[in-house]
Amino acid sequence: MPVVVACCRTAIGRAHAEKGVFRHVRGDELAAAVVRAVVERSGVEPESIDDLLLGATQQRGELGGNVARCVGLMAGLPLSTAGVTVNRLCGSSLQAVAQAAHAIAAGAADVQLVGGVEHMHHLPMDGVVDIHPQVLSRTSRGMLSMGLTAEQLAATQGISRGEQEAYALESHARAAAATDAGLFADEIIPVLGHDESGGVVEVWRDQSIRGDASLAAMAALEPAFLPTLGTVTAATSAPLSDGASALLVMSHAEARRQGLEPLARVVATAVVGVPPAAMGTGPIIATRKLMARPAAAGITLAEIDLVELNEAFAAQAIHCIRELDLDPNRVNVRGGSLAIGHPLGASGARIVTTLLHTLAATRGRFGLATMCIGLGQGIAVLFERME
Amino acid sequence: MPAAARERATLVVEPTDDGFTVIRFLVPDRRQNVLTAQVLADLAAALDRLATGSPPRGLILESGRTGSFFAGADLDRLETLHTLEAAELESLLTAGKRLFARLSQGVPTIAVIDGACLGGGLELALACDLRVATLADHTQLGLPEVKLGLLPGWGGTVRLARLIGPGPAVEFAAAGEPVDGLTAWRMGLVDACVPAAVASENARRLLAIHTAGDRIDRRRRRMAEPFDLDAAERDFLAATATAVMLGRTGGRYPAPPAILETILAGSAESAAAAERRESAAFARLAATPVARNLLRVFRLGERNRRDHGVGRGDEATAPPRSLVAPAVVGAGIMGGGIAASHLRAGFRVGLVDVDPAALARSVPAILDEAAWNRSAKRTDPTAAVALAGRLQTSTSLSALAGADVVIESVLERTDLKQQVLVEIERAIAPDAIIATNTSTNPITKLAEPLADPTRFCGMHFFNPVRRMTLVEVIRGPATTDATVAAVVAHAKRLGKCPVVVRDSPGFLVNRVLMPYLHEAVEMVREGVPPERIDRVSRGFGMPMGPIELYDMIGLDTALYAGLVMDAAFGDRIEASPVIPALVKAKRLGRKSGGGFYDYAGTGPKARVIDTGPGAATVLARYPLPPRETQDRTIADRLFLPMLLEALRVLDEGIVRDGRDIDLAVIHALGFPAFRGGLLAWADSIGAAEIVRRLEPLADLGVRMQPVPRLLELAQSGGRFTD
Repeated sequence: MPVVVACCRTAIGRAHAEKGVFRHVRGDELAAAVVRAVVERSGVEPESIDDLLLGATQQRGELGGNVARCVGLMAGLPLSTAGVTVNRLCGSSLQAVAQAAHAIAAGAADVQLVGGVEHMHHLPMDGVVDIHPQVLSRTSRGMLSMGLTAEQLAATQGISRGEQEAYALESHARAAAATDAGLFADEIIPVLGHDESGGVVEVWRDQSIRGDASLAAMAALEPAFLPTLGTVTAATSAPLSDGASALLVMSHAEARRQGLEPLARVVATAVVGVPPAAMGTGPIIATRKLMARPAAAGITLAEIDLVELNEAFAAQAIHCIRELDLDPNRVNVRGGSLAIGHPLGASGARIVTTLLHTLAATRGRFGLATMCIGLGQGIAVLFERME
Repeated sequence: MPAAARERATLVVEPTDDGFTVIRFLVPDRRQNVLTAQVLADLAAALDRLATGSPPRGLILESGRTGSFFAGADLDRLETLHTLEAAELESLLTAGKRLFARLSQGVPTIAVIDGACLGGGLELALACDLRVATLADHTQLGLPEVKLGLLPGWGGTVRLARLIGPGPAVEFAAAGEPVDGLTAWRMGLVDACVPAAVASENARRLLAIHTAGDRIDRRRRRMAEPFDLDAAERDFLAATATAVMLGRTGGRYPAPPAILETILAGSAESAAAAERRESAAFARLAATPVARNLLRVFRLGERNRRDHGVGRGDEATAPPRSLVAPAVVGAGIMGGGIAASHLRAGFRVGLVDVDPAALARSVPAILDEAAWNRSAKRTDPTAAVALAGRLQTSTSLSALAGADVVIESVLERTDLKQQVLVEIERAIAPDAIIATNTSTNPITKLAEPLADPTRFCGMHFFNPVRRMTLVEVIRGPATTDATVAAVVAHAKRLGKCPVVVRDSPGFLVNRVLMPYLHEAVEMVREGVPPERIDRVSRGFGMPMGPIELYDMIGLDTALYAGLVMDAAFGDRIEASPVIPALVKAKRLGRKSGGGFYDYAGTGPKARVIDTGPGAATVLARYPLPPRETQDRTIADRLFLPMLLEALRVLDEGIVRDGRDIDLAVIHALGFPAFRGGLLAWADSIGAAEIVRRLEPLADLGVRMQPVPRLLELAQSGGRFTD
């Protein structure tokens, strides 16, 4: 039975050339920091780690050349620990979690260190990708813009700009409150970054969370993707972010042997494809598929205490909550990616980290992590907290 | 240290409001902070005083001098190293190490690195718990000891390996090239890199961050323990690094392999043991002739930078006239190279050629060269565009009206040069300086038609201008000191090493080169294979052998230079019949696909074809009787005539100082630095032994005859260098 023993993340920085706290820090360094920290805080025997699985969507430059192996070397993992970099776009590191659970369930591995990293300032999304023109034969060019898929959802599902902004405002409010209450203190490990003057700071706070967000300020923004007609703005889209997150997944037996206390077990996982143009609906289909798994038999959505639904766009999150009939008070209770940030490849491990810390704090039992994914996919993983 | 105590302090100790203590270094009477004995004594005393009071939150080491943390150890002190016994030296190093060790024993320490942080300076910074470097351009961190044939001796190899890993440590210390603050941070050499203005404040922040928890203790433990490197990695590093070093140094420089060995072995043992190992290795290296020679070469460069080019070179004089409006006449390869070097140095430069086609051809090449980004290994197009506006071309000499220095670089024909020089003189201001770039034309002759030869001199650049740092500044009979000093200063601003010589055929460099080239051809005629001569020369340490060099220069060029030398020194350097015969056979060297050797292609990188006939059929027409040819004899025959010519140059007062000869042969001919230069090499053999080695060569004629100075030194046991 695969269990999660420890998890942590960096604070999420803004991907900004002058203001980003991690503008001078490489993505691989952020990943090495969380890997080092998770080894340290879990107390795992480093020699027992079979593999390091890192999600990253932009696997080039500082995150190229199978960055997972490089990060393992940087972080001081034993040379015997292998490394593989996983790409399922925004779902990359949740995929890494799922994959690790599969390997352990299959008896193919005992201990897997899992994580994700993205540095959207150093490696922007509009980098070198050469999508084959024939890919578009089954969809259209617009689906390459995630923002346009969100606009499409908003238009077809009747999600107004005001609703989206109210949702985003709530996300900021929850994240700001959680930050102020110190609720992220356990999950964030400090990394040295730089303040705006170029001075060194130990980064403890997510940089994009705005305690002072207001509907008035949001209303003043121009549409970000669809000039004039659009309803999706910078405020209702996840910010571009830099960050990393990691967790330790292992078999329950091995955890017992090493005397480690699991936080949760992985109950079931699911991935699914949806029309690329309806990218934002991925979590709906993936979650339904997940709940239909034999491993999840007998568990209903209503029994799930906490849901971490990755907020790529407010419109997309609102649609998923409605379609799955989720209780908004159980979804992203400490705020979501609209406020915290969305470092693509790191976000899956980030929401799991937040989910498991929140489950522990609230003594809930079941937790769901689910995300939408570009080019039309969804992923969902179900956890059960362990005492 | 009572004597030292009387001297002015090199540092101040200041407590800060927020509970830290700052030690700020400012070494008096120096342009840069250097680690003198006084600095070490002052630091020891300061640490003693701090140990008695209530401890501060942390100790911050910084410099009170902008642009200089510590530029390194005191070179005057380094020079005495060679005179010390190994044991003496090791105990000296141990004392320094003990002092540095104190920086990670008490309160947490941090070094604020703004400006040069080199050699011992970086070792001092490494001895602190933490380091913050600045983003400023002048911030440079490096361990250049290897360039002096040494290794870091104050724990640098020990701490570096533990901080950034043995592999990168070997790379860094064996190359000796400094890095900027940002690179240092990426490497893990420093803990942060911040703007200079906020460096001190950030040092406090870093101390505060790291003082929390047990971070400092963990670091100190890590610095004391062996570095955990897998055995397979260790072996691999040893093997690959050795191979790379052999490739780069031909095994002639003992410092890089010593650095590898010291770091590899030292990182596998405790820091204490590694420090003892480092001291012993330092003492071994300091005793090598290579270290002595490299220090000498370093000093030659330093002296050259201070030499203003007239008189003894170091007298206090009025600063030379600063030339700000340079122009070049002649848009050939050399003129273009000279113009490009002006652009690179930040000058706006004029370029005149009567032939518009020549101008059009040269401009793109000049901009390419001037905008060349060395690290990216390509032309920076933005820079090229910017520089284009700083290169003013014209087909008329009237464009020179505003110039304050004109460098004439037209074809090497005396009549043409004289004519152009006269026209330049008419076109320019009466006080503007005229320099001629020539390798073969006597300056005296070129000066003849000028109305005012006092403002005229030779300025001999070498090809390719971008790479060759030496410039011969040649005095004509009427050239004034003011002209020479201004041209010397100007050459330095171009990043060159100017050597002032009196007018004489071949000036300095070609004059000592020709006997060497000539002798090589004589040996080929005797039947010695060219490959063998080149191999012996490279074995001596030359970058290429004389025959390869002929093909590189071009035999037509060499023929012309040979005629000049023949006319002047025909008794010993007669023009060989082989060269004109090769030129006649259209074997001009690399540029024609064949000279002494045959080449696959015509470029500078064309490969030698082993099976080609080479110059054999031409050479067969000019045989000389074969002689005994051991490799050592070949080396003697190549380099002793070079030395004899250098001694004649000295006797004739062509150079102002013998050190200029050594500097020139190293910079212009690639004479091996590890031999210290031509005269230093002669000293390593001794005058008496040189005379003895010349004896069996006496029948070759005047060119192997000891000159009076050599005989005197052989008699007195004196030295060629001071």
